[in-house]
Amino acid sequence: MELGRLQYLQALVTEFQATESAEAKEQVLANLANFAYDPRNYEHLRQLQVLDLFLDVLSERSDTLVEFAIGGLCNLCLDKTNKDYILEANGVEPIINCLSSANEETVMSAVTTLMYLTTPQSRQQTTALPVVECMLRFSLSANRRLSNLATVFLEDYCTPLQVEEARNLSKHTAVGIPLPRD
Amino acid sequence: MRRGIYPSPASDWLLYRGVRLFLSGGSTPCVSASAGANESSVCWLVSRRAAGPACGGAVGDGKMAAGSSSSSGGGLGDACKHHAQLGVCESRAKYREGRRPRAVKVYTINLESRYLLIQGVPALGVMKELVEQFALYGAIEEYHALDEYPAEQFTEVYLIKFQKLQCARVAKKKMDERSFFGSLLHVCYAPEFETVQETREKLQDRRKYIAKATNQRDCFVLKQAEGPKKRVPENSRHDCPWSTSGSHAASNWDPSCFPSSSGASHSTGYPCGNHGQSLLTFPQYDNNSAETSVHSGQNTSLTINMHPVEHTSPNSLMQQRTVPVDNGINRFMPRTTHLQERKRKREEGTKLSLIGTSMDNAEVIIGPQLPEIPKVDLDDDSLNTSATLIRSKLKEVADSVSRTSVEKPECSSAKPLVKQRRRI
Repeated sequence: MELGRLQYLQALVTEFQATESAEAKEQVLANLANFAYDPRNYEHLRQLQVLDLFLDVLSERSDTLVEFAIGGLCNLCLDKTNKDYILEANGVEPIINCLSSANEETVMSAVTTLMYLTTPQSRQQTTALPVVECMLRFSLSANRRLSNLATVFLEDYCTPLQVEEARNLSKHTAVGIPLPRD
Repeated sequence: MRRGIYPSPASDWLLYRGVRLFLSGGSTPCVSASAGANESSVCWLVSRRAAGPACGGAVGDGKMAAGSSSSSGGGLGDACKHHAQLGVCESRAKYREGRRPRAVKVYTINLESRYLLIQGVPALGVMKELVEQFALYGAIEEYHALDEYPAEQFTEVYLIKFQKLQCARVAKKKMDERSFFGSLLHVCYAPEFETVQETREKLQDRRKYIAKATNQRDCFVLKQAEGPKKRVPENSRHDCPWSTSGSHAASNWDPSCFPSSSGASHSTGYPCGNHGQSLLTFPQYDNNSAETSVHSGQNTSLTINMHPVEHTSPNSLMQQRTVPVDNGINRFMPRTTHLQERKRKREEGTKLSLIGTSMDNAEVIIGPQLPEIPKVDLDDDSLNTSATLIRSKLKEVADSVSRTSVEKPECSSAKPLVKQRRRI
């Protein structure tokens, strides 16, 4: 039974790499990302180097592919082994880049992934100043899902000092912009 | 802030079809989630009114996500976008076809929620039936009609909040696309109704679940996951999680060690999300019996691993909210949940009497409640008067019946010694 699962996942990975069809690529990637939700598949996914696959796709042009890949990372990054692997592979940087995506789901997945990847060692990276500043902006968003998530990020993963620093920074960058008139 | 109270503006702005569901007459202090959250939810509703019908805000959506913070109406656009049903994918390769036709979509914890939005409910006054149907899948904490939500003609939109994410999952899976009084329901998660605290708990629960699930195979991780046992000052987490990481050398800081607020702790590690399935299923894993057996196997071992986090003391406030007083709740809850609920209620009572808070004057109305008999205007004073009379009489009778039925089991359990009258 477990062999069947591995083979099935292998078939998906093979199709992703072989296919020319953009549509099939999206479907297969979505499949893999959804399989990444279930911890039972982690071992197989590592074996098939799906983590690298997800990380590679982050630099693709296609908005949908990026959305699915970061979704997959978000789904599997809580596992200790996977977490270490992503951090080793310098995965934080492309994930941070996802924060500036125009796709809402991509941004949401990226924020959660950053939270889940935060360890004492990776904290420097995952809560770097630009990230905190970005979260400050998100936390004011009218989009409730995003503002909730960013608030959790600021409250649970950043020090008050970091938040203060980011706040000051954004104040400075706002210098020169006229205040709204009454 | 830490409490998972539904933000108050919603209760002011949304028109409830049924009865007020959760906010009590004052004994539960209503703390709204945060200033920010309040604002945004108000904004959502205000823009709803301004925008008129349909999904006016959907366009601004992309920009929103990019972080333009102050654009208004994004909340709604957001709601519309991720609730819009995607087209079914027709072009799947044979080996990737699932049992049911599905769209191409990736689920993450962000998309899931204890809140379910149910669209396409025929406007026939069938809220009771709807809620009963959903309550089959688990205890419902709140429900109400969203009269302001854009809906198709002759249909209504409802919001149902389950106590546990897993129940919401199952309910969504079972009820989506189901025919209900002649119309197809569209059920989706509605995480935009969560408070900050609920979002936080959801993320924490996922963290705990993964920690437990991976423990089973990994003895190495086992050690780490036992971390939370050692230090569980309930309230410390919120104050400064980073302070524990102060000594990096110790390197025992693992975010998974955050002790969770026990409000969330009742989620006993959901049995594997069926996410792989949601898009497609393995042909060979397709039959349910295989699935369930795997799940139950995992469940049992999960419960063995569980630390007993049962002490509920510091969060009495949080739980006070869900004290079930009204009898509707008996109807909708599975028996086991009902028993737990009753036990908790009892503990609650003793606790409150110890604290000395008087709860007598204001009746706490929380949780599912049946809709009242609709008050129809009969265009005639005398007819109206007699109708009111009949209604009040009906209510009286119904109340007395349900009260006796509720009290009975408790009495019998309290005094088992009372001799029962023999029937001749």
